[in-house]
Amino acid sequence: MRGFTAALWSEYLKARRSIILWITIVIFAFISLMMGLFIYLAQHPELISNSAILNAKTSMLGQTDWPGYFILLHQMGAILGMIGFGFVFSWIFGREYSDRTLKDLLALPVSRVVIINAKLIIATIWSLILAIILLTGGIISGRLVGIDGWSAELCRQAACTFAGTILLTIFLCPPVAFFASYGRGFLVPIGYLILIMMITQFAVTAVPGIAPYFPWAIPALYSGAAGPESSQLGLVSYLILAFTGFLGIAGTIAWWRYADQK
Amino acid sequence: MHNIIETEKLAKCFGQVTAVDSVNLSIQKGEIYGFLGLNGAGKTTTIRILTGMIRPTSGSASLFGERVRANRCDLWNRVGHLVEIPYSYPDLTVRENLEITRRLRLISDPSAVDTIIEKLQLGAYRDRLVKNLSQGNVQRLGLAKALIHNPEILILDEPANGLDPAGIVEIRELLRDLALNHGVTIFLSSHILGEIARFATRIGIIHEGKLIREAQIHELDRERRRCLQIKVAEPEKAQTFLSEKGYQTAMLTDQTLAITGRDVIDNPAALNALLVSAGFIASMLKIEEEDLESFFFRVIGRNGGEA
Repeated sequence: MRGFTAALWSEYLKARRSIILWITIVIFAFISLMMGLFIYLAQHPELISNSAILNAKTSMLGQTDWPGYFILLHQMGAILGMIGFGFVFSWIFGREYSDRTLKDLLALPVSRVVIINAKLIIATIWSLILAIILLTGGIISGRLVGIDGWSAELCRQAACTFAGTILLTIFLCPPVAFFASYGRGFLVPIGYLILIMMITQFAVTAVPGIAPYFPWAIPALYSGAAGPESSQLGLVSYLILAFTGFLGIAGTIAWWRYADQK
Repeated sequence: MHNIIETEKLAKCFGQVTAVDSVNLSIQKGEIYGFLGLNGAGKTTTIRILTGMIRPTSGSASLFGERVRANRCDLWNRVGHLVEIPYSYPDLTVRENLEITRRLRLISDPSAVDTIIEKLQLGAYRDRLVKNLSQGNVQRLGLAKALIHNPEILILDEPANGLDPAGIVEIRELLRDLALNHGVTIFLSSHILGEIARFATRIGIIHEGKLIREAQIHELDRERRRCLQIKVAEPEKAQTFLSEKGYQTAMLTDQTLAITGRDVIDNPAALNALLVSAGFIASMLKIEEEDLESFFFRVIGRNGGEA
């Protein structure tokens, strides 16, 4: 337990002192504020009548009331979450390779598994902080621009769905930790994230009905952003998602434990 | 005495490349073992195996009689290590980096950080970010991390890297004190024999993955070649004369004659008398000892090892 506390404290200090923490916070806060602005522009198309691009983007939103806004928020939680949280996981694991500090974590009285667990916990907490910023920032900006149809009950329900979406998204991040360890840095995990986003888009559109069984599509389905397909999510979908997460954790542990750390 | 560090037929291959080839090491408590080799000779690979960072292809490595494995966490608090260039977290201060090491080493006494900062003379830099440190101080910080838990074994890869001459002397004295007065066993690699010979008790020379030579440091003196160098007016004639008398001679580039052989080294006056009797007057006569660098190159069979 003492080793775990020490590892957790170390990871906390490294994350807290990292400039990347503050950059991700600023980006998530900025995006949440931009979402409110986006809705405002959709409500007032006359303000962007000169910009065809903005007109096209805002017209894709559909509803510009709070239920529609929350769907946008859930979409952002799933998509931005996958990219943002994935980056956090790749940073926390990949930095040990890019800073060449990994060798200081290998021959210690604290086991490598404990250090990996501490890293996963800090990455999860960091991701949750970003999600909270996205949600609260989104709600505040929505209130500021005066979106119609607000109710506390709607907000509570949306927050619950958002939380579920975020947790499912975070559960898909451990494979990023594996690829950061395998690739000894950031390039491979970032490449993995881009590839996953592309494959998800391709698979979901090309193979009808596969989405509930494709782990990286499940958070978006859960959020309801994909429409009625979300009702297709059953136990198997959640098991597939959980298996993907555990596979990432097991792969990372195995890599740290058995691979040569050159 | 039992061996504190031991390898048996240790080998490591990376694909087709054999980095370490059947290396047997036996190092006893309190020894300072200098592990010498050129870049790529297999020093760092051996050190990485000893610290559980990579697994040997065959053979074994043991510390305190226990086989080295990645999950032998109980071993690692008795071992301090510095592998290749030491790196620390650049966004953290010297003190914060050491605090992380202290906690991960499960040292309950918080003053251990201040103690090691003072010992490595990092006091002026304790609150400085690592990214703003000089290379020498980064090296000191690496050594501080290796020493903070008072280990029984120190495994150091090129510990003098980046240190200025005063720093090298200081670290050398520190390591010597740890070995002589605290019984710490030190295994350190270098590619500079002259540096290691100043304080190691034994050396091993690794070349192309093979341990080709081991010697107590005092044996080096016996094994280094010596020759008698003389300058005379007619060196070619003198060389012919001495060769006829059965001496092994060589002409150096500056027309100096080099004569080898134990009896010549032990009694140069006799040779001088012989030359004088034959009409050769020596203007210079001195015993030249092979330097450590030349000895090292001669052992590994590289150019530069001529006497």
